[in-house]
Amino acid sequence: MFEAAFLGLAKVFQLGNFFCLVIGVIFGIVIGALPGLTATMGLALLIPFTFTMTPAMGLIMLGGIYVGAMYGDAIPAVLINTPGTPAAIATTFDGFPLAQKGMAQHGLVAAALASAYGSLLANIVLATSAPPLAEASLKFGPPEYFWLGIFGLTIIATLAVGSLVKGLLAGALGLLLSTIGIAPIGGDIRLTFGYTELQGGVELIVALIGFFCLPEILSSFIAKRQATYSAEKIIPRFSVVREVIISLLKMPVLMLRSSAIGTIIGIAPGAGGNIASLVSYNEAVRWDKNPKEFGKGTIKGVAASEAANSAMAPGSLVPLLTLGIPGSPPAAVILGALMLHGMRPGHELFSTHATTTFAFIMSMLLAAGLVTVIGSFGSFLYPRILNIPARHLAPGIIFMTILGSYSIRNNILDVWIMFLFGVIGFISNKLKFHPAPIVLGLILGPYVEEGLVQSVLCGRAGGSILAYMFLRPISLVLIALCILSALWPLYASWRSKGKIGEKIL
Amino acid sequence: MLNADLIIGIVSLVIAVTAWVPTRGLTLLGGVFVDYTLIVLASLSVVIVIKGIAKPEKLRFFESVVERNNILIGLAMLLVYLVFMPKVGFLPASYLMYAAFNWYLSEDRMKTKNIIISVLVSLVVVTGFYLVFRNVLGVPLPKGSWFD
Repeated sequence: MFEAAFLGLAKVFQLGNFFCLVIGVIFGIVIGALPGLTATMGLALLIPFTFTMTPAMGLIMLGGIYVGAMYGDAIPAVLINTPGTPAAIATTFDGFPLAQKGMAQHGLVAAALASAYGSLLANIVLATSAPPLAEASLKFGPPEYFWLGIFGLTIIATLAVGSLVKGLLAGALGLLLSTIGIAPIGGDIRLTFGYTELQGGVELIVALIGFFCLPEILSSFIAKRQATYSAEKIIPRFSVVREVIISLLKMPVLMLRSSAIGTIIGIAPGAGGNIASLVSYNEAVRWDKNPKEFGKGTIKGVAASEAANSAMAPGSLVPLLTLGIPGSPPAAVILGALMLHGMRPGHELFSTHATTTFAFIMSMLLAAGLVTVIGSFGSFLYPRILNIPARHLAPGIIFMTILGSYSIRNNILDVWIMFLFGVIGFISNKLKFHPAPIVLGLILGPYVEEGLVQSVLCGRAGGSILAYMFLRPISLVLIALCILSALWPLYASWRSKGKIGEKIL
Repeated sequence: MLNADLIIGIVSLVIAVTAWVPTRGLTLLGGVFVDYTLIVLASLSVVIVIKGIAKPEKLRFFESVVERNNILIGLAMLLVYLVFMPKVGFLPASYLMYAAFNWYLSEDRMKTKNIIISVLVSLVVVTGFYLVFRNVLGVPLPKGSWFD
């Protein structure tokens, strides 16, 4: 294995291949940074071009795009409160408050370094222990996905600002939104109100742009009509990179935990970077000595989210390369690329095509390094965007939100939905009803529903629904985590000697 | 001053009822999750309504009349853009939207120089994005039904 890994690494360093890797990373960062364009879309766009390349070169380029996009989505999340892809949703929670405090560069450098760290660690796991982990991932059945979804929903306790009941209500609204369209099991058409375009459901990126970006444009640019976004001119400094590196070195547990969460969630087929970043963020808040810092602009929040969503990418390749089961939508596109080049996932990849496979894995490892360099240097450039006069910046962002919403399905109804969610987001912010739990419900709804319905079906067939849902070993662990997570706010409240009732209501 | 909890609770209840009616004919597999969600949604809405009545939280929605007017004008401009985009086409509607917002957010709106800048920047930015999305990324943007 080590020989193949070494040969794979040597292949990446061949001039043409390395050039393709750099191009792939840059393209990935751009795709990730444009709201509406996802890593999946970027990979799908470039697959036809890789057809004329050697398998190694093509896969190296795709690896670069995947890793680049997982970092690129943090740039708009930090600067304009809009996650470039759904995986960066948790990055907005602290990244944007950092930008509001004039510390956008801190957020961007933290995102780049944490992304690189998460990706690096997950790639090492992918290279060294993919086959046994893939076997374990098959033990994840419908009840486990259901409980993972429920565990994800307990994050509402963290996201709810001021009132837990309002947070839960917002989460329930998000779950209801997630039921729009054709039922995943049963095929019923639900809540489309006659619009055939809604049969595909509410597109997540459209909801993210609507709930997070448009309200910010309305309240910051249009309501105040200020000349520039921030009152003081933002001047990026070299010392910030050093400051952030030192800060991140002081939080090894957070970085390791976030990367591990991202890798594990990536390995479980179906759960994507958005869940990874949310779960990781929640755990970062839970185990931090000063949880009140989160949500107000701390690099810990950005690092937790970005390390996890970047670690998810190589993690999702574990079941893909070993079993042919894609762990995420971009991994499914990579599966297409593998098939296109005549490479069948499984034992063959690690024997007949071992050098090419390891070239792909090593390219993702090196891409993590490139993200560090490009991200750190880019942090001198990106924050200057906020110095652009508001009269040019605001219409540009509005234009991007509309293009981003439209380009997902080439559907004008998505733009209207984005606009509607934007207005609702603006109003709900004014009413102190934060929309983050709505988006959380929208993300987790399909996982919870599929897990629940499939569990009911399998449980019935097996004789006992309760035994099937509650007595499987991984389910038991997840149930324990759900209880722990749900009760944690009460414990934290008791620990800080605050009034429990105030937070709940 | 608005009673935020009362508004949130009542609106959520209305949403729950609106979703309840058309989902009564669903099969067990398609409807079980919807039913659970609606029960939770309605219950939480009632709790919020009760809280809004018992312990109202009064909020001022707009900080000033100027803020309110700015928001309403901004939303109206966006609304006009979205209504006319499918009719006149993406490109002309976007030129107008971009130039209008650029002009509206500029400090000295009546200066000829500012109007010219708004138009020129609009032409460059919108054309640039249009070409990238249409020709590079292959996204077919609306052509406009009036010109079909």
